[in-house]
Amino acid sequence: MTGRPLRYRASQFAVELTVAVAIAIVLFPFVFILATSLKPPHQVAEPGVWWFEASFANWAAVLLHSDVPANILNSLIVSLATVAIALLVGCPAAYSFSRFKAGGPARFTILSASMMPPVILILPLFLVFYHLGLLDTLAGVVVAHLTLVMPVVTWFLIGFFDDVPRELEEQAMIDGCTQFQAFVRVILPTVRPGLAGAGVFGFVLSWNDLFYALILTGGESRTLPVAIAGFWTFRGIDMGKMAVAILLAVVPVLIVSFFIQKHLIRGLGGGAIKS
Amino acid sequence: MHLRFRLILPLAAVLAAIMVYPLAFSGWISVHDYRLDRIDDVAFEGIGNYAFILTNPPFWNALTNTVVFVFGAVSIELALGLGLALLLRRMVHLPNTARAILLAPMFITPIAVGLMFRFLLNSEFGVIPHYLAALGIEVDWFGPDLALFSLILIDVWQWTPFMVLMFLAGLEALPKAPFEAARVDGASSWLTFRHLTLPMLRSVILVALIIRALDAFKVFEYVYAITRGGPGDSTETILFYIYKTGFRFFRLGEAASMAFVLVAVVLVLVIALYVAMRRRPGQAP
Repeated sequence: MTGRPLRYRASQFAVELTVAVAIAIVLFPFVFILATSLKPPHQVAEPGVWWFEASFANWAAVLLHSDVPANILNSLIVSLATVAIALLVGCPAAYSFSRFKAGGPARFTILSASMMPPVILILPLFLVFYHLGLLDTLAGVVVAHLTLVMPVVTWFLIGFFDDVPRELEEQAMIDGCTQFQAFVRVILPTVRPGLAGAGVFGFVLSWNDLFYALILTGGESRTLPVAIAGFWTFRGIDMGKMAVAILLAVVPVLIVSFFIQKHLIRGLGGGAIKS
Repeated sequence: MHLRFRLILPLAAVLAAIMVYPLAFSGWISVHDYRLDRIDDVAFEGIGNYAFILTNPPFWNALTNTVVFVFGAVSIELALGLGLALLLRRMVHLPNTARAILLAPMFITPIAVGLMFRFLLNSEFGVIPHYLAALGIEVDWFGPDLALFSLILIDVWQWTPFMVLMFLAGLEALPKAPFEAARVDGASSWLTFRHLTLPMLRSVILVALIIRALDAFKVFEYVYAITRGGPGDSTETILFYIYKTGFRFFRLGEAASMAFVLVAVVLVLVIALYVAMRRRPGQAP
């Protein structure tokens, strides 16, 4: 009689223990990087030291006496501009793909555009920007990031528009709206969570990109990932400061990601997974 | 013009300008001897670049490394992701918090992940070798034998969450009735998994695999952050090799033709995905 519940409790314990181990593996690097950022400089290279006098020297150096705040501002400008343009252009198109059944081929085009390897676009973009004087400018990075973000945002939104019942705009049109008015006034507000999810996801894609920014920017226009990559070069490293920069890049994204996880499941499937 | 086209027009125009035109330009570059240091003196090469790269050992080395990386990383991520998704659904305590934490790595910029692990695994002052040494284990994570494997592990750390995300969604969407029936009939959990869960998840698994594989083909940041292709050329991946050829050695023609070979590989995968998605319309996916 007691055998089954006991076995059940044991297996339940094993489940939770395994997940706890996985959580520890996920969290360990963050905890260690946080600890490193707070270590006084002479103890940074001593991995076994966990008890130390917390020092904010690294944080102060990075936030007050380095280019990192400027890099953060660059990244912020690039990501926000990219997402704004991507949503503005992608949203109407996604609605059209969803409603008018331009159907399979259109979706397929968007999907393959979103999977285009950046390496094939970077060479011509680099040359074009060189001739237009857009190298080392934020505008150039925005254009490059649009190739990354716009197809994904559109793909994301198609799934959300698919979920809106057609009766909604039919009703609005009976009430005297044109279809475009129905789209703007009735449909857009109902997909607000989708817009937010797609926006945040696009922001993260742009914020995290190294490849384009590394090739297209330099000096003043460097974005945060490029700056982080510069912390560990053949000339040497400053791990304490690098730890701070890593946390500055990672923490904001982690915070927003918690809010979009639910929408992400819906959006990434883009109609592939009905939930 | 019909509203349907007016709504698509801005996207079509922008994509034409920033994707279709560069793609065509890239094709043009790939059949020319285009060098960044001799931009005014560009000779037509025909298929010369392609013929060269296809017989060029470093290209094949990079392609092989990439395929090993993709295959290794994606298969481990698939197994771990499916396992963790199943476990997460059985969690009683704080399942949502556990899920949120487990999904976190996929949102982080890969260059930061690369540098974090370069730091953690460093043989002189890394914390992981430090504690392994205390156990009497000496491992040179970025030595010639292990470097590519270490990069795979880093990819697994960052991208298993994507698999978890996909499978949680897939499991959520499964109908309840067959599982009830299996339970009533007293089927063991292995039997249920093997004959119900797995077959019903087949298409989600396929989609997740292909999305992940396409993404893994683009691996660049870990290599750039940690090994720069070394030791020797043991971790030179295709994207890193193209980057080097184009922007270190200025041989754009050669770089572009390699990019097209890469795209050909990617295209085959995307078409496979499309076919897989079309096969069973109405059902997920």
